[in-house]
Amino acid sequence: MEQGSSTAGLGFPEGAWIKADRAGGNGGPAPNEYRLEADVLVIGGGIAGCFAAIKASEQGARVILVDKGYAGKSGQTPYARNFMAFNPAWGHNLDDWMAYINKTSEYVNNRYWTEITIRESYARYLDLVAWGVRFQTGEDGQPIRHPVPPGITDALRFDETSGGDYAQILRKQVLRSGVRVLDRIMIAELLKQDGAVVGAVGFPLDRYDLYVFIAKATILCVGACGFKPAAYPPIVQLTCDGEAMAYRAGAEILGKEFVDTHSTRMDTPVGIPNMLGRGRNVPEHLKVLMGPGRGKPETNAEGNPIPDRPAGASLYTYTYLEREFEAHAGRAPIYTPTPEGKKEVVGGACLGMSLRKADGLWPADTHCASSLPGLYAAGDALGNMQNGAVYALAGSAIAGGAVTGTIAGVAAARQALRMGKLAVGEREIARAKQAVHAPASRSGGFSPRWVTQLLQNTMMPYFVSYIKRADRLQAALSLVMFMQQHLVPRLFARDAHELRLAHETRNMVLSAEMRLRSALFRTESRGNHYREDYPRRDDPNWLAWVKIREEQGEMRLIKVPIPTEWWPDLSIPYEQRYPFRFPGE
Amino acid sequence: MAIEGIDTARCNGCGACVLSCPADVIRMDKDAKKTVVRYPQDCVVCCWCIAECEQDAIVLTPIRTAPLFTAWG
Repeated sequence: MEQGSSTAGLGFPEGAWIKADRAGGNGGPAPNEYRLEADVLVIGGGIAGCFAAIKASEQGARVILVDKGYAGKSGQTPYARNFMAFNPAWGHNLDDWMAYINKTSEYVNNRYWTEITIRESYARYLDLVAWGVRFQTGEDGQPIRHPVPPGITDALRFDETSGGDYAQILRKQVLRSGVRVLDRIMIAELLKQDGAVVGAVGFPLDRYDLYVFIAKATILCVGACGFKPAAYPPIVQLTCDGEAMAYRAGAEILGKEFVDTHSTRMDTPVGIPNMLGRGRNVPEHLKVLMGPGRGKPETNAEGNPIPDRPAGASLYTYTYLEREFEAHAGRAPIYTPTPEGKKEVVGGACLGMSLRKADGLWPADTHCASSLPGLYAAGDALGNMQNGAVYALAGSAIAGGAVTGTIAGVAAARQALRMGKLAVGEREIARAKQAVHAPASRSGGFSPRWVTQLLQNTMMPYFVSYIKRADRLQAALSLVMFMQQHLVPRLFARDAHELRLAHETRNMVLSAEMRLRSALFRTESRGNHYREDYPRRDDPNWLAWVKIREEQGEMRLIKVPIPTEWWPDLSIPYEQRYPFRFPGE
Repeated sequence: MAIEGIDTARCNGCGACVLSCPADVIRMDKDAKKTVVRYPQDCVVCCWCIAECEQDAIVLTPIRTAPLFTAWG
């Protein structure tokens, strides 16, 4: 197969081992230190973080929002197209929506969160409209509803051609709310005291300074987990920083076995259609780079169409494993029709990412609390399993971010406003600062870019991350554990930019371990988790979630049964419970 | 393809590309009051900088620097 064009930028020559530029090592960073106090610290400035900050501020809390990029431009939020809005006045019926999602989720959605997301989506839509975000409207002035899938649910679409970039409007609203926004600061370590999270420590991307945030409540809104895949720009900065920080602090994580399967085009790898430039002035040469998009039906190497899912299953083909099944049967490459003829499709565009809202912090309640006091999560950082094992509800990812951001912001503010003054011990602050700067304090070590590339090369083959089998998962886990134990402790950063890369690499390696262990643990197939050696759903044993936490330095996996009242009727034949058959069943 | 440089004749130093880059590839040269490509090896070709630059000052190179990752081969 012809190799596609570069997007990762990893071909620049750089050795595995790098060292300080001058004799005597890096000299160790001698940073300026800034200490800031807040009632609520929001980490991440996508839609969940913006909503969390605004809503917490409206409660009367002093709020700081800190973002590794630039709030309003970072993460997946600016790329969103659909916004799910449930409104009975439009003829929407909650029971119908729930029945649809329960089935397409393959019965492992968290029904509390599915219902909350659906019910509260319209109120969040009204918030956005009030703040100046515009949606596509018809001649009657009413929002245009796009049925996806037809006849079941529908979604609204942002109108960025007339209203500007909606994420930028969100940022303006955050600032109008009195929230203090700090951009281009990476948070790398949570602060803990008496078992509770009491803030975090981070550093700016362009110098070795340290920022110590003391906060009565902290909300992680850091988005999804990826391995910096070459072809999906929205997640290039989403390297599992939140889950990793939280896990190291003792929080529980779930949902790592359900993979996202976005693909892209080999000839125009940036060409995920319409992902860039909505509302912006896109030059003609960039349009060429983005490509003319994708069409249906996709065909395999034998020229046969890849079938849609059967009736009763989600129509969202891009969240399924069909292309990987074709490849595994020897029928790759896959092609998509375009106005320029058929073009090759390639998978792995979202490598490292879970199905939306699947992985993240374990929700301890329905107020976005994590298993650690003082720590909340919202958006993709919250593992609320609103879509279960398959993403099937158009626009629910972004609507879910708004809904959970709101809930987390209000809950965190209320908690913070009940608390007295917070004093954090200097010993804990010193520990966190040391952990944050450790990669820059060595005189030499492994290049974060090199370790990242090793990780990508280990996890990328489709038969590791998508078509899974115990022996291959175990082999990949051995490699990842080698990185975990022997390379990550010796990562080296020559400047603050590389300090960011070092922490991202450390977090991605941990995420890979979680992903592989969860995949090994779930000995069945379901939705976007396919085990070649266990190709059937195993309802009696696996109507359950997989939760992860650290115990005595080891990663422990725990099976959490789903409430029996959420189970499907097991007297219904398997084939009717699950319209889709996995290969090998 | 990856970012190659900034056309300094066109760049007006507004810094929009610096703020839009998710990979922290571009930085502001405070002395020259122009932006500069500081970490080209970390470019992911998301093209935000190009979309944001009103001066059309971002230069992409056609050089292929690394193979695209493939989920199947």
